[in-house]
Amino acid sequence: MSEILTCTNITKRFGGLVAIDDVSFSIKKGETLGFIGPNGAGKSTMVNVMGGYLKADAGKIILDDVDITKMPPHKRVHEGIARTYQIPRPFPELTALMSVDVASICGKNRKNQSFEDAAGDATHYLEFVGLFSKRNIIAKDLTFFELRMLELARALATTPKVLFIDEVMAGLNPGEASTAVKMVLKAKEQFDLTIFWIEHVMAVLVEAADRIVVIQYGQKIAEGTPDEVVNNDTVVEAYLGKGWRNYA
Amino acid sequence: MVDVEIKRDRIVIRWREKKWDWMIEPRYWRNTMYWTLALILFPVFAYFLSPGLVNTMVSANIYAAIAIPLSLMTVGTGRINFGPNFYIGVGGYVAALLSIHLGMSPWLTLPLAVLMSAFCALVFSPLVIMAKGLYYVLLTLLLPLLFLEVTFIWTGIFKGDVGLFGIELLFDLGGAKLNFIAAAYVSAAIMLLFLLIANKVLKSRYGLIMAAINDDEEVAHGIGVNINLVKILTFIGASAMIGVMGWFMAHYFGTFSGITYLPLTYMLKILLVFMVGGRAQIFGCVAGGYFVAFLEEFLIRVMGDFQPVAFPIILLILLFVLPRGEGLFGLYRRRHYREYMPQIHVRR
Repeated sequence: MSEILTCTNITKRFGGLVAIDDVSFSIKKGETLGFIGPNGAGKSTMVNVMGGYLKADAGKIILDDVDITKMPPHKRVHEGIARTYQIPRPFPELTALMSVDVASICGKNRKNQSFEDAAGDATHYLEFVGLFSKRNIIAKDLTFFELRMLELARALATTPKVLFIDEVMAGLNPGEASTAVKMVLKAKEQFDLTIFWIEHVMAVLVEAADRIVVIQYGQKIAEGTPDEVVNNDTVVEAYLGKGWRNYA
Repeated sequence: MVDVEIKRDRIVIRWREKKWDWMIEPRYWRNTMYWTLALILFPVFAYFLSPGLVNTMVSANIYAAIAIPLSLMTVGTGRINFGPNFYIGVGGYVAALLSIHLGMSPWLTLPLAVLMSAFCALVFSPLVIMAKGLYYVLLTLLLPLLFLEVTFIWTGIFKGDVGLFGIELLFDLGGAKLNFIAAAYVSAAIMLLFLLIANKVLKSRYGLIMAAINDDEEVAHGIGVNINLVKILTFIGASAMIGVMGWFMAHYFGTFSGITYLPLTYMLKILLVFMVGGRAQIFGCVAGGYFVAFLEEFLIRVMGDFQPVAFPIILLILLFVLPRGEGLFGLYRRRHYREYMPQIHVRR
């Protein structure tokens, strides 16, 4: 398997605070890479750096042999990166179909795609995430779970190579959460995606991920298969604190 | 090079790799025809009933034709510009100065006025990228006021105190009444042209992208929209359209002074047209323009000196009373649930 996305020595500082400190990892094509860490570890900052919303102070990001370190977000999308948000951020006044439509029109440089073509495309993605019956509902009237799915559809409509998923479980009840996780895995299979999955809940990633990277205080502390990471003392310490053995 | 193909229900235009569809649906044209007919017949009736109303119609058309590009700009940049009258000033002064000093005809000054407005918009376009929320409001609000100061400082050129006069008239048909009627038709034509352009843009793919930017800029950027390009293009295009109105006013009245158009009162009137008509809805702008212009005229006749006080109060009350925040246009037409209704963002 070749590497599709490589991050080398990424550093991001906010004033004096080092949010990400010299983190390097790479994602192989077709794999699901989990990215975990305790609260405030710098997970979302990492996604923002990789998505282009924040500029890295040092380091290099290479997607499929293209250096995207200095590209603005929309160009990275054209190169094949898409993301969902931790808190759903729909276009509140647009219908579900139109929101996905925009992504379909702009996700790649499709000069000839008419409105109708884009709508056909968008319908397919909405159907995939199970929102076809809600296609004409304005996004602000959708439920939280439906917004999550709408975000997934919107991200898929840009036809990404790598999909960043930022906490798909947050705010969902167990039933919805398992549906969401299944949906992501199904999307990975159907659209031939590589997934970079940030999650707070370890249990999901142990099931779904091929490899997991753990960060704490902006530093990478472990990397490996789920089993290795779960049994890694440093990781458990990061989550539970140093004295955890006394209570185990 | 440009390939035009006429099909049963649409005209397809192809140029290089690009393709535009223009839908033609005659069954939807009924209302358009009625309203256009009303616009055409109104000056004729007013000519016999009360010629002053023709003049009111001209100012109504002017308000509408300024508010329409302003709505386009508001949706496309996701911010509300509080200084649209800056571009009226630019267009008007360019037309006036060129006409007076170089003796240019109105048709020569038009492209230059448009170019100058577009150039000024290009110079100030970084604002739509850098400034957000209240900063954008303040900065755009400052521009016309600064320009007003400039007209006073370089009063030798701009004649800030007395106004420029002696501008070549757009048309001179021999009688004041005939000129009014001609102006009414020309202003209505400009207004309808702007309406057509704005409607076409808003219903296109570009319009959908503009709606996405208005709803959430950052997310739009994150799904591949080149937001800076769209925002700047919209800003420049809409400013150039507003500049055309400055040109029209300079050549219609034959005089132009910054003090009429650049102060806050004029800006407030435009913004009220824009809000009372229907919250950045282009058809609402027409309703708002006519309503505001005729209300103004009516109040002047009824109340006299008290008008400047009563006028904004009535409009402000209307802003709250009109249903669903959709203004006068919302009274006429019940909006379909699915239609896009832009939210106005002053703060983010």
